[in-house]
Amino acid sequence: MGEGAAPKPPRPAWLQEYELVGKIGEGTYGLVYLARSKKLSSRGVKIAIKRFKQSKEGDGVSPTAIREIMLLRECMHENVVKLVNVHTNHLDMSLYLAFDYAEHDLYEIIRHHREKLSCSINQYTVKSLLWQILNGLNYLHSNWIIHRDLKPSNILVMGEGEEQGVVKIGDFGLARIYQAPLKPLFDNGVVVTIWYRAPELLLGAKHYTSAVDMWAVGCIFAELLTLKPLFQGLEDKSGPNPFQIDQLDKIFKVLGHPTPDRWPTIGHLPHWQQNKSLIQGHKYDNPGLHTVVQLSQKSPAYDLLSRMLEYDPTKRISAAQALEHEIVLNCIFWYSTSICSGTSIIVSVRGDRQILRYFRAEPLPGRNALVPGQPGEKIVVYPARPVDASTDFDGISSTQSSQIPSSNSAAATSASATAAPVGATARPHQQMPIVGIQRMQNTSMGTFNVNAQANIPVVPANMYLHRGPQQQQQQVHQQARRREAGNMQNTGSYQPPAKSRRM
Amino acid sequence: MAANFWTSSHCKKLLEQEDIAHVSPIDQNRGLTTEDAKIIKVHLSNYIRKLAQHAKVRQRVVATAIAYFRRIYTRKSFSEYDPRLVAPTCLYLASKAEESTVQAKLLHYYMKNFGTAPDEKVFRYEIKDVLEMEMRLLEALDYYLVIYHPYRPLVQLLQDAGLTELIQTTWALVNDSYGTDLILMYPPYVIALACIYIGCILKEKDARTWFEELRVDMNVIKNIAMEILDFYDNYRQIPEERVHAAFIKLPPRS
Repeated sequence: MGEGAAPKPPRPAWLQEYELVGKIGEGTYGLVYLARSKKLSSRGVKIAIKRFKQSKEGDGVSPTAIREIMLLRECMHENVVKLVNVHTNHLDMSLYLAFDYAEHDLYEIIRHHREKLSCSINQYTVKSLLWQILNGLNYLHSNWIIHRDLKPSNILVMGEGEEQGVVKIGDFGLARIYQAPLKPLFDNGVVVTIWYRAPELLLGAKHYTSAVDMWAVGCIFAELLTLKPLFQGLEDKSGPNPFQIDQLDKIFKVLGHPTPDRWPTIGHLPHWQQNKSLIQGHKYDNPGLHTVVQLSQKSPAYDLLSRMLEYDPTKRISAAQALEHEIVLNCIFWYSTSICSGTSIIVSVRGDRQILRYFRAEPLPGRNALVPGQPGEKIVVYPARPVDASTDFDGISSTQSSQIPSSNSAAATSASATAAPVGATARPHQQMPIVGIQRMQNTSMGTFNVNAQANIPVVPANMYLHRGPQQQQQQVHQQARRREAGNMQNTGSYQPPAKSRRM
Repeated sequence: MAANFWTSSHCKKLLEQEDIAHVSPIDQNRGLTTEDAKIIKVHLSNYIRKLAQHAKVRQRVVATAIAYFRRIYTRKSFSEYDPRLVAPTCLYLASKAEESTVQAKLLHYYMKNFGTAPDEKVFRYEIKDVLEMEMRLLEALDYYLVIYHPYRPLVQLLQDAGLTELIQTTWALVNDSYGTDLILMYPPYVIALACIYIGCILKEKDARTWFEELRVDMNVIKNIAMEILDFYDNYRQIPEERVHAAFIKLPPRS
């Protein structure tokens, strides 16, 4: 980072605990490094180290870093990234946050499917990822934390190891405690990457809730299904908080125009009033979310998705509700259709009502989202995160910087390396040299669905383009599968003690 | 955590009286007594409040800053962590944690204008000292920054008891409870209850039935109440000479 000419300061003692592998990311706050622990208790364990530079205005530790530390220090949940340590460098006033390293993220997983495999993500993986995102989010929301910046690149997925395929919600730089905020949440400026931004934010809401995260989850769910961002608006970058008309336009084109009927308080939102002609003048018809995501309107997956993308934030499904999501259908016979994301099954038949539950239908979600439930199914090997090994801890002199651990360099010529990102421009670190790691095909782990149908074929490469009746597997199960998938119990519902009657 | 005191680090880190009253050996060597330590903490808690008034930050920021300040000295010595720098820095850190950042420049301006000791004219610490101390404080706090306060439970409990007319009195009592180390020792709602208990006595309200229904340990409530009353009796107004006598035992500033 242009500090090479500076005199080399002494190295902080904590650096001894790590062996630097390289740089894996870059943001406005600073850099992210990959390192291996040298401590005896955790030797070789991969750690992601996020460095926060001193804030530019000469105002000490950046408030973003403070907020992230403060929240993550309290968070303990399987689906929330684990802050394992915090280090300081007094010399340049920078702060280093050490996290358990996650090899993958949804941005890369989706891109791998879209650009390399040209095939959709199998439904077990989609469902397991979504379940775990919701599980983590339910924990955060029940603790009054809004993430505010959910997007595929912030949804991390653990690589090889005992937590393989486990989702970790990451990057809490914009997260907020929203119980009794001292200032309107809006005051803190920009939130959520525009593509995943909820309509109430786009329309200028000043006080908002955890529902903004659920909108983003809906967008991510759709993206997992189609491999394309659902609403790709062009961001207006003029001024501090410009009105993002193009993003709203993209949303309206798919979901139809919001009406005071569907969203009674929409009239109170600043931009709805101020930009009447722009928003309200244009007519949008033919709303067709189901055609965009290619789901039957009667499938539980579609129902769940459409509830996440509910315009009115007060009606939008919560994370807790989504985990327990069910759809009640009123018809005499219901043949389920298995398409892209969700095999519908009859969970119960009571007279003319059936209750379908996305997360209770086969394939059941599992802890290891990357290993398909069907024993015969092909395992997708995702490329390892690219590492720029030619780097050093910013601002700290070191001699061992350009060494890549031998296991990595050996694997650089393997098949997985060729599948690694090439020529991408969307994020800076994708342009870095690529080091692929050949993954062990560990089929013994996390396969909660051994009872699931074994005859589901490998997802064809062009599945989502040619979705015909021949692929609509019909499965009719007479009984609810109430089997809980492994250790995926809902750990997030803490009840704040409103009044303790005992002490 | 953020909404649940019982799972928070604050709850797990509650301390006993003897952990708090302990004076570090290095301070003892300078002749600092438990009483001196108490006076320094009361005096600088007031100082934080004064700075905060000028910086126009909310009550919760002040409360968090004082809680940080008091927690620091359960672990560190006054000799190594000059409380005259630690106090304003706690306010600075709390303002970031509670999302109402006060600029270091502005804070420094107020520090220059309002000294920590009665006889002090010029504050000799610079902005860079505050920024350096901020890092040391983060380390000393082990990066645990979420603090719960009695204000929210106070409002809820008063509503439950049908005693909302006591809000002003009890709110002021909660404010003054930060003149003690109670926030480090008891769950915030217990402190709130003790303040309601005192408020009831002051305003002659009979809430005995309500307290009985809560089935709280009234001995705990009464002990906290005594601690708060002791603060009013002995530490509300500390003579300048007494403050001076305590501060003079601190090492001279480098």
